Amino acid sequence: MNLQESNISENNFEQCIKCTVCTVYCPVVPVNPKYPGPKQAGPDGERLRLKRGTFFDEALKYCLNCKRCEVACPSNVKIGDIIQLARIKYSKKKPSLRDTILANTDVVGTMSSAFAPIVNTTLSLKPVKLLMDSVLKVDHRRSFPKYSGEKFVTWFKKNAAARQDAFKHHVSFFHGCYINYNYPQLGKDVVSVMNALGYGVHMLEKEKCCGVALVSNGLIDQARSQAKLNVASIRKSVNEEKRPVIAASSTCTFTMRDEYPHLLGVDNADVRDQIEIVTRFVYRLIEEGKVKLKFRDGGKLRVAYHTPCHMEKLGWAYYSTALLRMIPNIDFVMLPSQCCGIGGTYGFKKENYETSQGIGASLFAAIEEAKVDYVATDCETCKWQIEMSTTTKVEHPISILARCLDLEATSKLNC
Amino acid sequence: MKEQHHQSEFDVIIIGGGATGAGTARDCAMRGMRVLLVERHDFAAGATGRNHGLLHSGARYAVTDHESAAECIKENMILRRIARHCVEENDGLFITLPEDDLSYQSTFVDACLKAGINAEVIDPALAKRMEPSVNPSIIGAVKVPDGSVDPFRLTLANVIDAKAHGAKVLVYHQVVALIKEQGRVIGVTVVDQKTKEKTNYYAPLTISAGGIWGHGIAEMAGVKVDMYPAKGSLLIFGHRVNNVVLNRCRKPANADILVPGDTICLIGTTSSHVGFDEVDDLRVTPDEVDLLLREGEKLAPSLATTRILRAYAGVRPLVAADNDPTGRNISRGIVLLDHEERDGVPGFATITGGKLMTYRLMAEWAADLACRKLGIDKSCTTMTDPLPGSREGNEAPTGKSFVMEGGRKSAYVRHGELASRIAAENEYDNSLVCECEDVSVGEVKYALENLDVNNMVDLRRRTRVGMGTCQGELCACRAAGLLGEAHNCTKKAEADLTSFLNERWKGVYPVAWGSALRENEYTKWVYDGVCGLK
Amino acid sequence: MKFDTVIIGGGLSGLTCGVRLQKQGKRCVIVSAGQSALHFSSGSFDLLNRLADGTEVVSPVEQVSGVDKAHPYVKLGDKFAFYAAEAQKLMADCGVQLQGSADKNHYHFTPMGTMKPSWLTISDFDCYDNVAPFKGKKVILLNISGFLDFNTKFIADALETAGASCMIKSINLPELNKLRVSPTEMRSTNIAKVIDKEEVFNKLVSVIIGFSDGFDVVALPAVFGLASDRLVKALKGMVNIKLMPTMPPSVPGIRVQQQLRREFERLGGCYMLGDTVEKAEIENGKVKKVYTTNHGNIGITADAYVLTTGSFFSNGLVAHSHDIIEPVFGADVDFSEDRADWFDANFFGKQNYLTFGVATDEKFRVKKNGKSLENLYAAGSVLSGFNPIYEGCGAGVAMLTSLFVADNL
Repeated sequence: MNLQESNISENNFEQCIKCTVCTVYCPVVPVNPKYPGPKQAGPDGERLRLKRGTFFDEALKYCLNCKRCEVACPSNVKIGDIIQLARIKYSKKKPSLRDTILANTDVVGTMSSAFAPIVNTTLSLKPVKLLMDSVLKVDHRRSFPKYSGEKFVTWFKKNAAARQDAFKHHVSFFHGCYINYNYPQLGKDVVSVMNALGYGVHMLEKEKCCGVALVSNGLIDQARSQAKLNVASIRKSVNEEKRPVIAASSTCTFTMRDEYPHLLGVDNADVRDQIEIVTRFVYRLIEEGKVKLKFRDGGKLRVAYHTPCHMEKLGWAYYSTALLRMIPNIDFVMLPSQCCGIGGTYGFKKENYETSQGIGASLFAAIEEAKVDYVATDCETCKWQIEMSTTTKVEHPISILARCLDLEATSKLNC
Repeated sequence: MKEQHHQSEFDVIIIGGGATGAGTARDCAMRGMRVLLVERHDFAAGATGRNHGLLHSGARYAVTDHESAAECIKENMILRRIARHCVEENDGLFITLPEDDLSYQSTFVDACLKAGINAEVIDPALAKRMEPSVNPSIIGAVKVPDGSVDPFRLTLANVIDAKAHGAKVLVYHQVVALIKEQGRVIGVTVVDQKTKEKTNYYAPLTISAGGIWGHGIAEMAGVKVDMYPAKGSLLIFGHRVNNVVLNRCRKPANADILVPGDTICLIGTTSSHVGFDEVDDLRVTPDEVDLLLREGEKLAPSLATTRILRAYAGVRPLVAADNDPTGRNISRGIVLLDHEERDGVPGFATITGGKLMTYRLMAEWAADLACRKLGIDKSCTTMTDPLPGSREGNEAPTGKSFVMEGGRKSAYVRHGELASRIAAENEYDNSLVCECEDVSVGEVKYALENLDVNNMVDLRRRTRVGMGTCQGELCACRAAGLLGEAHNCTKKAEADLTSFLNERWKGVYPVAWGSALRENEYTKWVYDGVCGLK
Repeated sequence: MKFDTVIIGGGLSGLTCGVRLQKQGKRCVIVSAGQSALHFSSGSFDLLNRLADGTEVVSPVEQVSGVDKAHPYVKLGDKFAFYAAEAQKLMADCGVQLQGSADKNHYHFTPMGTMKPSWLTISDFDCYDNVAPFKGKKVILLNISGFLDFNTKFIADALETAGASCMIKSINLPELNKLRVSPTEMRSTNIAKVIDKEEVFNKLVSVIIGFSDGFDVVALPAVFGLASDRLVKALKGMVNIKLMPTMPPSVPGIRVQQQLRREFERLGGCYMLGDTVEKAEIENGKVKKVYTTNHGNIGITADAYVLTTGSFFSNGLVAHSHDIIEPVFGADVDFSEDRADWFDANFFGKQNYLTFGVATDEKFRVKKNGKSLENLYAAGSVLSGFNPIYEGCGAGVAMLTSLFVADNL
């Protein structure tokens, strides 16, 4: 008879055997001494917080939720989740106006898209930046992602929606805020690649921001209600329309798959496996022999892949890089997997600017040194950070694929 | 042999540095007596430090032992006042499971009320909200004013106050003989465990507060005190699963109390008779572990999936009533033996029986006896005078963020207002030695300098160093370093380090599976494999 | 996903196996559930320090014949010395510079200032042929002020016992003050991340030189050179510096882990960190496919599978209250049914549980229900039959059995 066959509690912090490995890989600790570090903020602190809630430390907000501690942990402790859950449970700090604005990417996005030229110009004006810096504590050195004049969904309805039903197979596409408001081109690339592979692309019935920024800024109730809405839409897509869901952003994907159940208590177990990042979806089709690719003849392209933190946590960089490596004539460089420092809205905050740039410094140097045409990465905030901090242009792997594929020929192979 | 001057330097000598001995020393000192407290190991090293740490409401005894129950609830209320920094006011639940007889509940509540214990029958649904970890299948629940008490802090606070009132305290000094003159006990011969030097100390009255070892002390006076060593084993879990004390509402039995205490919770106890040859080296058997787990899971099912930190056992100093030579009628009540009256041996008394909860009352009785014997007319004030540490609040002064404060919050929880004496001027003092339990360099230094710390196990009792999840893996070496510096002797510090690791291991191996075994393999790698300790 | 070999476990054993196989042109994936025990390395690798009967080993090559029948070294046959040399070569190819030889153990310092025998020692540290190398020498022991995981007093006393005269000094660099603010993060690796910056390092060098005057030896904790050993070499060229290991985490150990991983990836291997193999499809005595937590429904297939998941620490073996299992394949585990046999009451005793592990055949093929699985091999500390700590052979078993397996797939 085995007592305690599995002595792993729900909050598995006690599996921590204090080996300190997490502290080696925390990107924040070496640059921000106010952060207690993953071991202390996570499993060690959790024991104390269970004793008394007053042991909660607001300094946990310096955790940028990159989950690199979890990837490094040999004991499978969900260190990042423990820290974020502690913030949700114990933090008494009300989100500031700045945090609320930064967190509401879709509301702000909707407004900004409508006035894109004005907003873009305004946000890049020095006096505005300084005002934002002093009033909102948004660092003036930070450059803002540009807002697009036409939202992706508007473009999609006008130009693509009609022809999607004609395809043999179908997917739903969770476009996320970034594609919708800032960079519709990536959405267009997803649609053209998927179409070329014989898949019709559809919008979810309803889509709200995945909520990652709401979670990190403490707007939990709002995050939870958006999560519920998204899961309901995904459920409808998967169960009724028989369409699996793809997304282009590693962070949106990770949030919907793992943060929903772990941090927000929103159950997605029945559909979790049907939420995939587009590169994994495509990789799988190729591996299963269901689709074929035909590339254009083109010159040499030197591309370095940067592994976003949440991609590292998902363990899925393999798929994005495998797709890139399939491109003939590609000169592929794998950058060492490390955090770029942006952490979503984290790096936008004045108090985190130095930390943020400090974390990314060695990555930026590695990118400059690599002398590539593009850095490829699956995360939009990494893209902002790298483009702001280096001279290299950043693209999503699917955009690079779209550029290198002979879409018409590919389409003929698959449709 | 050193001779203290025959003209007594002391009015009373107290043998035993558990809660009772320390409490007696404090009470006597506060009443103006010149006190010597002698402890052969460390404070709270015997039964005091090896029980549940339960601040009994008395409810457990209400049905079977009205007197004990009434004593408990009185002392419970007193400790909440005088020992706030040692007490957590958690409340307790007496739960009825489907396998239990629900009709016992009314018997229980009646008895509680009779003893003055505020027992309140509550809806099981409310009980589940009060304590979410409780077995969801409960069919009955009674709320009582149970709590938790930290026996180490409690004993230490008594020692600190005894000293403040002029008492002399000797730890690691063993009483090897009682000095008798014309049938009267006039002093004790004490061996310093470190130097092996013998010294005689004299006082008109010697009080034995040696718990189960009081049996042997009495023998030295030629007096027989019939004691029955009853071993109780307990399991400590890695963290708190409950915040309310959980008891079974039935006749007291094995493994039916789950107590939250500081960062952990513990389930106990078993009960078995052991021989006197075993009382110095108690081991928890696999059967006891199994029983504690099986029963514990009934109180809080999540214990089945919670990491066990360690197992340990203590010995209850049960005393046979004098009028019952068979020893069957064992009392859990307080036993004060005036050996002049009982055995015709003047100058000697024994205070025993009782329990941690009634240590203060036991001390009061013993000090009252001392007053009578020595002709002192001073009444007891320990029921109202707070202990050091509980005189002001035990919240750390609010400052900047916690990270800047190091282990300050924990230090205030542990030491009450005395934590203000802990150095925290610079970053080094604030840096943590023990990361699980939040013990800073400053706190370790404070303990080393002020709290009679001789080795790492003592340090653990003062500060909780090494009591956390890693059981010393990360902190033992750091603490040994500080100890080596403070005592300017690394040879001893190294020996201490190895015996500390062994002491931790003794509690771990009865439950070494899962993460506990992983932790130990790692600890073994670090200290044996990497450091090459022997 | 399709590879030639799937290696489960990414520590010393898995990486050794992976590098060897990649060099043979086989495409490997290493699935590693978190970082490995190299993070706590003393900086030395043991091959064989003691036999199970307590005999001290001076020459592993000559005395290996004395190991117990069940010891994994027995299965290497006459290839023990060969693989010991190959292991050293492989490390060198990965850029890990080691000193020592399998013909004769040397001594190295422990974090307590005492000496232990070993096979190979990372070049950050020094090897000695006796236990009192600083006898008659004047040593200055420098520590980073406030760094708790380096016990100067212990080390100084140990050195003095061994005949040296020793002085302790604290050094401080303003650049480290920021780190010092945190009560917990003054750790070896965090210090190294600061000192490894060229300008900080140069300051440190001048501080050290300032202290070195009049001393024969300057001893320092190994708190730099996390990313490369360039600075360590530079420093050693300037002063008679002796680095001493710290309590975990181990800066040189982590560097070795990273060097091995880099070389493995450079050779085309795929390293999946933070992933766990959850289940395996086994058919007709052969492993067909494995599935991991991260990759879910996309399984990994290969011709051969190597289990290098380590012992309890890394969950290669999982102990329950009354049995011990191998969680990935449910392989047969050699262990004692009686829990009383698992432990010594003395913490520093042999601790029998350390000898438990997966049962394998003569080619290290893993047994399940008494039968060898055709294409599943095990190497390193997941194996049974040896006591890595008591016998001082953990690293040796990890590397030698991995090389053997890689060569005999």
